[in-house]
Amino acid sequence: MTRVVEIPTYLDGRSFDQFARSFESPLPKGGERLLFDAHGVKFADPFGLIGLLVAGQAVLEAGHERPLFTVPANKNVLSYWARLGFFEFAGELFELHGKVPKRAPSGPSDVLLEITPVREVNDVHAVVGAVQERSASILAHELNLESHATMGFTMALSEACQNIVEHAGTSGWVSAQTYNWRKTLGRKVVVIAVADAGVGFRKSLEPTQASRFGDRWSDQAALESALFHGASRFRDPGRGQGLQGIKRYLGRWSGKLGVRSGTARIAIVPDWDHDKPLVDGLPEFPGSQISMIIPEQTAD
Amino acid sequence: MQRFDLTEVLRRTASSRYNNLVTRSTGKAIRGHIEQELDNGGDGQITVIDFSGVGCIDFSCADEIVAKLLMSHGSARFFLLHGVRSEHREAIDAVLERHGLAVVARDPSGAVQVLGPLPDVARRAFRFLVRAGGADENEVVEHLETNPAQARAALDELRSRRLIHFSSAGYQVPAAI
Repeated sequence: MTRVVEIPTYLDGRSFDQFARSFESPLPKGGERLLFDAHGVKFADPFGLIGLLVAGQAVLEAGHERPLFTVPANKNVLSYWARLGFFEFAGELFELHGKVPKRAPSGPSDVLLEITPVREVNDVHAVVGAVQERSASILAHELNLESHATMGFTMALSEACQNIVEHAGTSGWVSAQTYNWRKTLGRKVVVIAVADAGVGFRKSLEPTQASRFGDRWSDQAALESALFHGASRFRDPGRGQGLQGIKRYLGRWSGKLGVRSGTARIAIVPDWDHDKPLVDGLPEFPGSQISMIIPEQTAD
Repeated sequence: MQRFDLTEVLRRTASSRYNNLVTRSTGKAIRGHIEQELDNGGDGQITVIDFSGVGCIDFSCADEIVAKLLMSHGSARFFLLHGVRSEHREAIDAVLERHGLAVVARDPSGAVQVLGPLPDVARRAFRFLVRAGGADENEVVEHLETNPAQARAALDELRSRRLIHFSSAGYQVPAAI
């Protein structure tokens, strides 16, 4: 039997829970085969696209049959997804249905970082190196970020990717893209997504933190511990600084940080956004998903 | 004096084609290399960690290289971080703050300062010693315009944290030697 997983027409951080609800994690043992229906999708940002890959990876790692995936009908969407490298990885995780364009050679574009797998430490070096080589000028000229802010950007990216290598127990992906949020913000932004299908914050922190919370231990408690108290699964007092550093960096540049894990999402919300700082009881989704948004810096 | 060029150590330990100090395992490998050299009978009491060629340093690497090195060897040696740019400061300042550590650093223009948390009087005393190139206790007391006990306490703190040293010439900052 095949069950359809609906993908929202506009797949991004805001509509992600709708997708997670349709995905229905954790998956039941055996039985149904999943069909991810992206046929009608008109837009997906890095957070959404990586989320799709995470879902596919979670299905395979749970021992289920390779899910089906109908590619978007819209040619522009297809071409953008190809340019971002989505189909390269989707082809390994899904049985793709529909014509997929070949990946276009990289040229000038708003893609700061194509979808890049993060499996080991060397991948983190490669991500940081690629961002520095290709994206520093975009960050400086389009977002008006000063040089040390550009460096902070790569540092934040490095820490977010390391979370996968050190804590997820499986691989993940990272991607970054600039947008012009003319209507909503009147400024350009860079959107960064880092996600994995691993154990998530609750399970990762459980051995060192759960006893302090007793019955109140949850995805939400785990996210609060990590983001506000620098909790780590390691007893080394130097651990747990990565997320704290990301939070500080984004705070300085009026950026937004969102971390979703399991059934909870926590966010550091700048004054230009109206997201809720903490949401619990969300549809379960495997692993951890981090989103960072840095707006163009203006004179005022 | 022992000098460690971090980009050189990075190339040797992590075979990285980049000049970025990122990931905890990279930091661990670099610290391991430095500690081995220090243990192999370094000839001096001043250890210079050269950041001049470093692109980016993240928190994990800063924790492993700067904080853990200071914690393991900081009581026996003077450390000087050389060529520290403002881009490096975000991570270095954060890990020093986290562990309550302080270290002497020189930026590319040659300016010397203490990074990390330090009481205000001690920081002012340090700045004076940098400017003066060294001074005795009376000169420090006079400059700080504070009572002698407070000035002495500041100098003792700087000395015990290996941020300055004392010789027949008075109190000095290692970078000035």
